[in-house]
Amino acid sequence: MTDTIHQRHQRKLDPVTFEVLRNAFATSVDLMSEQILRTCYSFVIYSRDFSSALCDAHGNTVAQGSGDIAVHVGTLHFQAKAVLAAFPGKIHPGDVFAINDPYRGGTHMNDISFIRPIFIGDELIAFAQNKGHWADLGGTVPGSFDVTAKDFFSEGLRIPPLKVWDRGQFREDVARLLTENTRTPDVGLGDLHAQATATAVCEREMHRLVERYGKETILQAMHEVQDYVEDIVRAKVTVLPDGVWETVDYIDSNPGHPEGLVPIKIKMTIEGDTIYYDLNGSAPVVDTFLNSGYGATFSAIYAGTKTFFPEIPLNSGFYRAVLADLGPEGTVVNAGWPVAVTGFCSGVYEKVVNGIVEIWSQIIPDRAMACSFNLEYLLVGGRDARSEERPFFMWYDWMSGGWGGRRTKDGSSCTAPTFGAGLATQSMEGQERLTPVITSWNHLVTDSGGPGMHRGGLGVEKGGQITDAENAVVSYCCDRARSVPFGIEGGLPSIPQGVWLNKDTEDERFLGAIFSNVAVGPGDSFTRPSAGGGGLGDPLLRETQAVLDDVIDGYVSIERARKDYGVVINAIRPELDEYEIDDIGTKQAREEIRTNRALWIAEDPESVAARYRTGELDQLDLLRQYAVIVDWGTGEFLPNTTAEFRANQARRAVSYWV
Amino acid sequence: MPRLRVAVDVGGTFTDVCIFDEDHQEVRVTKVPSTPDDPMRAVMSGVERGKIDLENVTLFSHGTTVATNALITRRFPKAALVTSRGFRDLIETRDGTKEDLWDAYKDVSGPYIRRRDRFEVTERIGYTGEVITPLDEDEARTLTGLLKARGVETIAICFMNSYVNQKHETRMREIIEQELPGVAVCTSAEILPEIFEYDRFNTTVANAVLAPLVMGYVNRLEERLADGGYTEDLLLLHSGGGSMTPRTVGQFPVRLAASGIAAGAIAAKHVANQCGYRNAIGLDMGGTSTDISLVHDGELRVTKQWQVEYGHPIIFPSIEVLTIGAGGGSLAWLDPAGSLRNGPQSAGADPGPACYDTGGQDPTNTDANLFLGRLGTSLAGGAKQLDRNLSEQALAQIAEPLGFSLEEAAGAIVEVANANMADAVRLVSIRRGLDPREFALMAFGGAGALHGAEVARELSIPIVIVPANPGVTSALGCLLVDVRHDLSAMYSKLSGDITDDEFERAYAGLESEALERLANENVAPENIVLQRSVSMRYIGQFRSLTVEVPPGPSPLANGIARFHEQHEQEFAFRRDDTPVEIYQIGVEAIGLTPKPDFAYQEPRPQGPPSPDEVRWVWFRTTAWVDTPVYNRDALRAGTTITGPAIIYQLDSTIVVPPDTRAVVDGYRNIHIHVQEY
Repeated sequence: MTDTIHQRHQRKLDPVTFEVLRNAFATSVDLMSEQILRTCYSFVIYSRDFSSALCDAHGNTVAQGSGDIAVHVGTLHFQAKAVLAAFPGKIHPGDVFAINDPYRGGTHMNDISFIRPIFIGDELIAFAQNKGHWADLGGTVPGSFDVTAKDFFSEGLRIPPLKVWDRGQFREDVARLLTENTRTPDVGLGDLHAQATATAVCEREMHRLVERYGKETILQAMHEVQDYVEDIVRAKVTVLPDGVWETVDYIDSNPGHPEGLVPIKIKMTIEGDTIYYDLNGSAPVVDTFLNSGYGATFSAIYAGTKTFFPEIPLNSGFYRAVLADLGPEGTVVNAGWPVAVTGFCSGVYEKVVNGIVEIWSQIIPDRAMACSFNLEYLLVGGRDARSEERPFFMWYDWMSGGWGGRRTKDGSSCTAPTFGAGLATQSMEGQERLTPVITSWNHLVTDSGGPGMHRGGLGVEKGGQITDAENAVVSYCCDRARSVPFGIEGGLPSIPQGVWLNKDTEDERFLGAIFSNVAVGPGDSFTRPSAGGGGLGDPLLRETQAVLDDVIDGYVSIERARKDYGVVINAIRPELDEYEIDDIGTKQAREEIRTNRALWIAEDPESVAARYRTGELDQLDLLRQYAVIVDWGTGEFLPNTTAEFRANQARRAVSYWV
Repeated sequence: MPRLRVAVDVGGTFTDVCIFDEDHQEVRVTKVPSTPDDPMRAVMSGVERGKIDLENVTLFSHGTTVATNALITRRFPKAALVTSRGFRDLIETRDGTKEDLWDAYKDVSGPYIRRRDRFEVTERIGYTGEVITPLDEDEARTLTGLLKARGVETIAICFMNSYVNQKHETRMREIIEQELPGVAVCTSAEILPEIFEYDRFNTTVANAVLAPLVMGYVNRLEERLADGGYTEDLLLLHSGGGSMTPRTVGQFPVRLAASGIAAGAIAAKHVANQCGYRNAIGLDMGGTSTDISLVHDGELRVTKQWQVEYGHPIIFPSIEVLTIGAGGGSLAWLDPAGSLRNGPQSAGADPGPACYDTGGQDPTNTDANLFLGRLGTSLAGGAKQLDRNLSEQALAQIAEPLGFSLEEAAGAIVEVANANMADAVRLVSIRRGLDPREFALMAFGGAGALHGAEVARELSIPIVIVPANPGVTSALGCLLVDVRHDLSAMYSKLSGDITDDEFERAYAGLESEALERLANENVAPENIVLQRSVSMRYIGQFRSLTVEVPPGPSPLANGIARFHEQHEQEFAFRRDDTPVEIYQIGVEAIGLTPKPDFAYQEPRPQGPPSPDEVRWVWFRTTAWVDTPVYNRDALRAGTTITGPAIIYQLDSTIVVPPDTRAVVDGYRNIHIHVQEY
């Protein structure tokens, strides 16, 4: 590390040409995205799980799509560079490459990039790339999300860089190899064409720009827009104080090993005009697929950082000013070949992003935000018995949830995951037509926002029932049943995530936040909440009127208003929104909480767990008053997990209380 | 007394009145300040200022922002949502997406009806229309009593899967109407009988919250006009580029949500048509923003994805207009890396551009144009004086850090603004597979003609057309619309499984409803036109593409052929071997209204009159150059002016750059030939 301030790059282009081309590059990428959105076959891509980029001849990213999914941001240049490395001297006009390789800087198998080299004459000047999430890429589980996978061989098809078009010739054999390894080959073939054709839109635009401005100017501009982003990041970092910040966030557990949270450690240093991340000390790889390859971890680092610089465009210039040491291969944040990584998005990615947001909340306090809910995917797959042909079906579902409380306002409720704020939830009427699964409810979860002076946003609960399905199994890719989204600066956690089967019946089972291939049949019901966001600031400082408004709208219950906020509210005529705040009761309640809360969090956790099992205490009491974690289904006490959870609650909440 | 057609277009700042004298074939225009607290005051003062005798008016057409403003300010009467058990929060959970993907402090605005005013009732319809759980009528009655006690004035009923079976919604409405006469009630299946619950619910909710307000406004205006002696139907411009009478507004008030935006696009289409262009791009540049519209093969692009605010879709056909933050008042600024930027922030009317001397300190496009001599120091016939010294001071903030002279800085500001507009035009044209070089550019709005020729050059568009009254072109648009309704029905069948007869019968149902609506609006049978459309997709695709179905035999085969063709044109590929699924069918029901016959003067080729003045104007290719300045009123049909030249009029200024040629046509439009081929 050197504590230097870099000179701003010299520009050759005049400001007008530069600005025109900077925007034109972005437009050429957005045109590509626009087309893919209109022609795709996979509902996952349609829901905006895709991204587009223009890379230069070295594979460095020049421009990314303005609507791109966050999780891809730091990986597109790796994928273009992988193509260059695999085909030295063998890249020709008319080629289109495919790649999904997580061990070459990709994310996971489902995310397939189509990459088209752009030539002027015989000179390679750039690459157009579109990366989209295919709903299935084979493997043992529909949707290719196998939580029991320890290596990628059971996850799905790995695609090293290969040519799907060779000098304009469509290689049907190669295309078939890709599509026939999926459970829905027609959808795959449709998306393959849609994605590859979309990259031609960017190529056409680049040819137009070269015709208009000349090749040299375009090459220079692709170079300068990267310098420009680097300059702008460095200019912003220079004015921030130098220093070192650290935090830790956790994956719930390592399956098959003793209980205990799995740490992901983040240390960040600002020196001069450069940001350095250090992830050394993070846990060794876990025996499930929540690990992350280096590409996806870089992506989390860039995405988390960019949250505090929302207006800066993303390209490789950003990556020059934001550096990272992921530590040696073999850890959850730098899983090498052949470790399973498909669930990185629910595992490492979320933890790195939220940890980074926590760190930056201290450096740029007026953009502070507590932890947000965890990305989750529920998959019900099997045969659809509603028709004679009994085709494969996939009810592949993800929810929105709550984001963390903020400096000046509550967290945003029912919002797409930090994984990609543009990832749309699906229409339930659409799902009911396509699959034998009916949605029973889809509503906000009362009390799911982590308490705070500014509370977290609310999560959503979605319940459903299997109708005419055969050989159906359900799988879930999530986390944070135990490493519950946390509050900051005195704020409290939200709620655990996890799936319940046949809840409130005799067969009730808590399946947890990560499982696969659980058999289900007609009549079985399931439900799961997404978490809310953590709170920011001491909940006892929240304005009583804000608590009352939350009670009227049912965002907070009367019971939790008292327990979490110390606000005593009497319902007068609730059907007409008539409530009153008991001012004296509120003063007493707040005093009582203020006096006792440090004692509660120190109470014998085993006896607290026992009171949970008898029904005396509930889940929210355990999390918010006692900081105790149990298995939410059986009530079994988890001592290691609780010790780590308590240490963090002490750091993030108790130390801020007065 | 001459017979008049009157159009009134209410904008944010001004209410424009366009009066067409049928007997003399003359257009008169008038502008009065808008009165946002009660827009009708401005409408009536415009009528007065325009010296309009309502007894002589044969057609009164109105574009209004009443609905748009209500949706933005959220000033609604007490409204409630009644929905299926389990789905109370659907209009709040939406699809979860954010508009600003990276700024965690920018939220999507909340739902139109708060959670406390949303209620569930036990019922459920399945995806085939089967009743899974019957409507619990006791619960429905109890709920109705509660709604009454809460003093609710308007109610949206939105049930899951009601688009296949609206029995429960209809029954719920009956129960409410029995108990709560006089309360406005609408159901989602009658407002938008389409799949995708969030789109349908939100459109219905928007309709419900607007109903009392919009109807109140329309009824009052109708009465005032009738009191003044107007005897025909008041026509209200809707988002789809047609108009409705107050009777239909009562049922579909939400269709007025984009009333104001559509007018400019319609005018662009009209002027293009008048000048003989089938392809045109409308560039409507005002003080804070530019609206870009597109006419292809004589038709405006229409979209069903529309919203006043992000996250609150209103799924009715709306004219596709792309609005970008580039206007006369847009600010020029340097970002931290020293790059020159333009907009989207605007100085607006307050503090205004620096040269207005009303407190603005930062340079705007107006300041750049003034400094470069393109804009004169006196606007609106002397009503507004601009101070060039103040522009100079503001421009210095940009020039100094860049090491530019003032004229270079001002030139750069204008060029960046032009490039931003050109990029936006590319988005509406190239992304559709349309080549901007095959289009004419219609430049209007207060500032459109200042920039139009250079934007066209940037896009290699050969010709720019500046209509006769660029500043009030939108009001003109209101005069040109037909009564129009858009009806649709879900279909969801593979094209191979349908016969032409079946296809025909499906349309028959929609068409009889369409005819009923037009009859209700007093449209004479000879003025009725029905146009069929069909939305299709390759099986497995997620979005569908809508194509017109030509009249005549084999409608299905013709529709499919058009689909393949259009898919290839828009997306550069087609898959003839893939089955095509029919997603939805639609009928556009049009009641033709008589169009004004504009005065035409045979052009007589002639040179320009002597200029009012000659002043220094700066262009990139010439630097400062002596440039003649003409008053547009003095230009006769057939006049040719060679650039550089400036043409001013009451409501706009036209820049004719060097190496271009401007010609006045018989309708007083000015054609600027940017490139000669």
